[in-house]
Amino acid sequence: MKFLYTLLIATALFATESLSARELPKSDLDSYEPWDEEVAHTFESLLLQDGGRVKPIYTYARFTLMQFSGKTQAKFQSKDGVDHKLHYAEWLLDVLFRGEVAKDIPTFVVDDSAAVVQIGVSPNEKKRSVYSYNDLVSGRARLAELAGEYAEKQRKYEQSERRDKQYELGRVEGMILTLGQNVSSFEYLIGQFGFARDGQILVNENILPPALIELAAKTSPAEMLREMPMPEMSIDQLVGIIQQPASQNEEERTLQDVFRLYFFFANTSRGINLFPPQESDNEVWLSASDVMLKGLESKDARPWAAEQLQSIETLVDARNESPAAFSAALTTFAKNQHSISDPRGEGLYSELEVKLYRGKYFIYSLYCFVFAFIVMAFSWLTPGSKIGKGLLLAAGGIALFGLGLDAYGITLRSIIRQRPPITNLYDTVLFITGTAVLLGLLIELFTRKGIGTLVAIVSGVFGMFLSIKYEAKEATDTITQLVAVLDTNFWLATHVTIINIGYAAALVAAIIGIVYLVARFVMMMLGRESKDLYRSLTRMNYGVICFCLFFSLVGTVLGGIWANYSWGRFWGWDPKENGALMICLWSLVILHGRMAGWIRDLGVHMNSIILAIITTFSWWGVNNLGVGLHSYGFTEGVWGALYTSWMILGIFMAMGVIIWFSERSQRALKKQEKNANAKAATA
Amino acid sequence: MAKKTIDWSPGNWPKLLFRFFTSFKLATIVLALMTVITLFGTLDQVDNGLHAAKVKYFHSFFVIHKLWGFPLLLPGGLLLMLVLFVNMTMGALIKVRKRWKGAGLLISHFGMLMLLAGGFITWAFSTDGYMALYPGMKSNRVESYRNWQLEIMPLDKDGKTEKAWILPSDELQSIRSDEQRTYQTGALPFEIVINGFSQNATPIPVSAPMAAEAEGKEIDGFKLSQQKASKEAEQNLPGCYVEFRPAEGDPIEAILWSGSFRFDPRENPMPFTFEVGDQKYGALLAKKSWTVPFEVKLDEFIFERHPGVSTARNYESRVTRFESDKPDTPLEIKMNEPMRYAGYTFFQESFGPSGSEPGDEMFSQFAVANNPADQWPLWSLVVTSIGLGIHFVIMLVTFTTRSKKAPANAAS
Amino acid sequence: MSLQRLPASAHFLMNSPVAKTALCLLSGTFLLSACTDSGPEGPEIVEQELPSAHRTFKLVETSRERFRYQTRSGAGDAQAGSADSGAPRLVYDTPKGWSEGTKSMMRDINMTFGENGEGECYVARLPGAGGGLAANVNRWRGQMGAEPLTEGEIAALPQKALFGQPASFMSVDGDFTGMGGAGTKSDYRLLGVILSSDAGAVFVKMTGPRALVEANTKAFDQFVGSLDVSTGAPGS
Repeated sequence: MKFLYTLLIATALFATESLSARELPKSDLDSYEPWDEEVAHTFESLLLQDGGRVKPIYTYARFTLMQFSGKTQAKFQSKDGVDHKLHYAEWLLDVLFRGEVAKDIPTFVVDDSAAVVQIGVSPNEKKRSVYSYNDLVSGRARLAELAGEYAEKQRKYEQSERRDKQYELGRVEGMILTLGQNVSSFEYLIGQFGFARDGQILVNENILPPALIELAAKTSPAEMLREMPMPEMSIDQLVGIIQQPASQNEEERTLQDVFRLYFFFANTSRGINLFPPQESDNEVWLSASDVMLKGLESKDARPWAAEQLQSIETLVDARNESPAAFSAALTTFAKNQHSISDPRGEGLYSELEVKLYRGKYFIYSLYCFVFAFIVMAFSWLTPGSKIGKGLLLAAGGIALFGLGLDAYGITLRSIIRQRPPITNLYDTVLFITGTAVLLGLLIELFTRKGIGTLVAIVSGVFGMFLSIKYEAKEATDTITQLVAVLDTNFWLATHVTIINIGYAAALVAAIIGIVYLVARFVMMMLGRESKDLYRSLTRMNYGVICFCLFFSLVGTVLGGIWANYSWGRFWGWDPKENGALMICLWSLVILHGRMAGWIRDLGVHMNSIILAIITTFSWWGVNNLGVGLHSYGFTEGVWGALYTSWMILGIFMAMGVIIWFSERSQRALKKQEKNANAKAATA
Repeated sequence: MAKKTIDWSPGNWPKLLFRFFTSFKLATIVLALMTVITLFGTLDQVDNGLHAAKVKYFHSFFVIHKLWGFPLLLPGGLLLMLVLFVNMTMGALIKVRKRWKGAGLLISHFGMLMLLAGGFITWAFSTDGYMALYPGMKSNRVESYRNWQLEIMPLDKDGKTEKAWILPSDELQSIRSDEQRTYQTGALPFEIVINGFSQNATPIPVSAPMAAEAEGKEIDGFKLSQQKASKEAEQNLPGCYVEFRPAEGDPIEAILWSGSFRFDPRENPMPFTFEVGDQKYGALLAKKSWTVPFEVKLDEFIFERHPGVSTARNYESRVTRFESDKPDTPLEIKMNEPMRYAGYTFFQESFGPSGSEPGDEMFSQFAVANNPADQWPLWSLVVTSIGLGIHFVIMLVTFTTRSKKAPANAAS
Repeated sequence: MSLQRLPASAHFLMNSPVAKTALCLLSGTFLLSACTDSGPEGPEIVEQELPSAHRTFKLVETSRERFRYQTRSGAGDAQAGSADSGAPRLVYDTPKGWSEGTKSMMRDINMTFGENGEGECYVARLPGAGGGLAANVNRWRGQMGAEPLTEGEIAALPQKALFGQPASFMSVDGDFTGMGGAGTKSDYRLLGVILSSDAGAVFVKMTGPRALVEANTKAFDQFVGSLDVSTGAPGS
């Protein structure tokens, strides 16, 4: 029992350590004025189109900050010693509307300061640290140069047959490449509304000659559009004009300058598609850049385009005026967007989406499971007693609540995209976790031995942790659009759901197997036995494996029927199909091997671990083989994680092998004794 | 403790054989081997492509797999599935004691047998190919994805003809690159000699620097250079040297290359042309093709993307089906909604040319399958699910009654 | 398993429909030759009537045309790729408005175009198949944030002649994240031609803002069509 105490203390220490205020990165800002609450709130309701769908800017902000910093908050300490924790939406507000402030907010995470040293920037004390744009700006040119070089190397690596090692990016090189990409994306964001800032360019100023910066202070693209003397003109023609050497004629030269500036703005304001298109049959939203180009191309579109650009200028001006004015301007802007998008059925669930992310259901769900674990660990201190039973029941209840949060989040996501629960890899993590927890709790309901609760909690902790890690690692929107072939709610709801229930069952089987092996191993070390526990664990696992077989089999065959239905072949030996098949086959091996007398208690549990290895392979591995119709989620670095998990599972297998050998030698010993006794009797 | 002895006398063989084929041990071994084969076959796809791995591991009786360079002889998927079929039939249907408790398992095993049998029928008797049409085009011809045949046709001066003589793909593709085979038919006034057939090749002009390395004879300024087979078998472009030997006169030599056939549904194939007597002939490596008993015309192809990104949201084809003595039938073929008719199924497979934008003229490609066991998996699934369902209900009932009894026993 | 049961079972074996099916299947397997996955079987040299839509053929005179080698238009202002004569060099026409960028180890020809040189077009060669066509097509699509194509779709890619050989052509719109440093560039278009053969793989890739690439598509075609290998003296 001692190790339990140690475990508890360690957990408690870990929890307090991570909760305690760590020293925040320092910012060069003298002070930081937080955004007015009302402003932050109205900002959330803005819409944009990204990744093929209309979504709240809230979601966009979340994943953009995640991509840069790996976190959902920008934390720093200003020079006046005050700590600030910016929510992602506030951070994006700063980037878009207070670029000069945002450039000093620590935003870019660098895992190894060596990367920063290489671009000629003096590093922070800590090896892993967060830098602001201004921290890095002195190394900007070198960063671009190195990142370009490494991108080239990376390209070469990917193009080489069998991934030539000599082109593989080193760890630091990879960091520099990512940093380069993030810094550049950040510059686009800062430059986004540059055209509305009366000459405050903030990034890439050196590209523009001073004369043009002066011009930018005096005029704006909206004004330029309104006073454009030309009839319609193709972009080519216009580009032709600016490419010509500077004209001698004063008037022509001014016109040239205007165009140059206009194109500079059109170049820097790409990326955020805030403007619903004029035409009702067009679904593609426009960025300020698109609006500018459209205004140039067609005379008819000019008044509209000028109006759109003006609306951004209004926002920027209102921000300078007062929070109330800014909030009002944001509301108007959002209202305009909604007046067009709502009748078209776009972004209908944007409020729900904000609610989903604001609710942090999955994080709270993880907290529930961790808490449940602690409660359960206390129950082990007094096993069998009333208190112990009560604690166990409480742990189960907390886990049930965690499950409820997970399920609620999944439901919200389904409603937002109007789809069944699983459409991509991230969804499978949430769903499989939920299913595994549910399975564990059901087992508890039937057996009342505390093992089901343990399985549920362990699944919950690992699964929710994985979902959070995966989301942060990918740092892209997890509510994605479907390719044409997946556009069928019927099959998504049946095949995909059922096969994932099968995966969940296989993983639950492995957890039971591990509990069995660890329990037996520890008992063996202590020289004790608990045959009752073993027997009930085996029965449980046997049931779960049957359950797994049923769902894997039905899911796999359903998948084949879908394939036959949709593209004319039932089975194509595609890696994902094979993965599912292997799960079915191995479950069958266990069941038939048991009938053949080859697999007994220990065998069932060890084989359930093999089943889990197969399951993780077909869940994560085959997507990364890069072949077949099903490889829908390409993720880097998955193999490393997979190998690690297999190694850990391998350790449990090794325990099993040790148990098997010791059992055999004991049996041999007993036999000898028996024989000796028998001999003695006959003698 | 008497040791079990096995009676090896010939009279006992049927019994031993029966025992072997019905054993759980055989089932376990076969299932485990099947798992191993599936794993190796999956990993092999990374290097050798899906089709090659499929043929090597799953459509075979034996396979030699190199594990860390060490060759292993393993039973292939076909053999394993056959043994499994026999084992299941004899073990789970025939030998098994027929009692109510086993009813569910019996039914589910029968379902699995249906699935295996259906798979076998599909493998042996189904055909699959494709038909690609631009709007306005009409066809009843289905082309194979991977199989090429030699076509020789009499041509008029405009390049038109009504018939062709065909050397079937099975024969043609069995010719090795260093092999010569001669063919003749009474209908053609010349012998056809194939001097080596390459599964993947490219003709290169002798002026090109690479030509120096290419083996093979130079004909009309070209050599046929053999290429490594592509991972995607559909992408192989075979070629061959061919010779036409008329009864009188000099033989005519040529390089035939499948690239002359067609890269786009609107193209007309470009045969090698020659004259024997007064008749002009064309020779062509063409995709193996067959006809369906009706014609399909593409009226309109609709293609949509998710806004602002290149992910396809939907693509569908409006077609009309023509059949003699039947009224023309307009219908739609789209993702997940194929046309099933007269034993054939038309699936919306893809579209092209790739890189087309919405608004460009695009062709639509249908996969055309003919599978006698088309619906077997569905029936099998229904049977298996019913079987397993019954079994689990029985198990649950036994489990709960037993666990109810257990405390009572303990108390007594 | 008792002895008495065996004859009954054997009897059942011979008569059950299931067993019959199994036997048919067993014998069928060995009788059938290696089955192919498509098309009905047929004997040697057979006469076949051609479907009405497939009765026209294109008559070409030379193997050059038949093998899709374009006859090159006048070499015009072709530029020498490398100084030493005799060694194979790349020759090509530089389209109007394009300028030569720096060559690198990985880029045999590097061109830029557009106002700030944001349009880019390069030619790269790799020994071997360069990772295969599908991998390269999908890698490029990935750089544009596009979904990977299936094998069938890749096989259906249109072809353009490159060095006189059919090469796969692709065009993707999206947000370009290929180059580091520059980060994600939205509303880009990528045009690519990939020739994958045993002798090596050749890549021609053009990227730039969509409007710019659109305006330069003809130039791209012209450039791709003009690429050739020359072993002769420069300028020939």
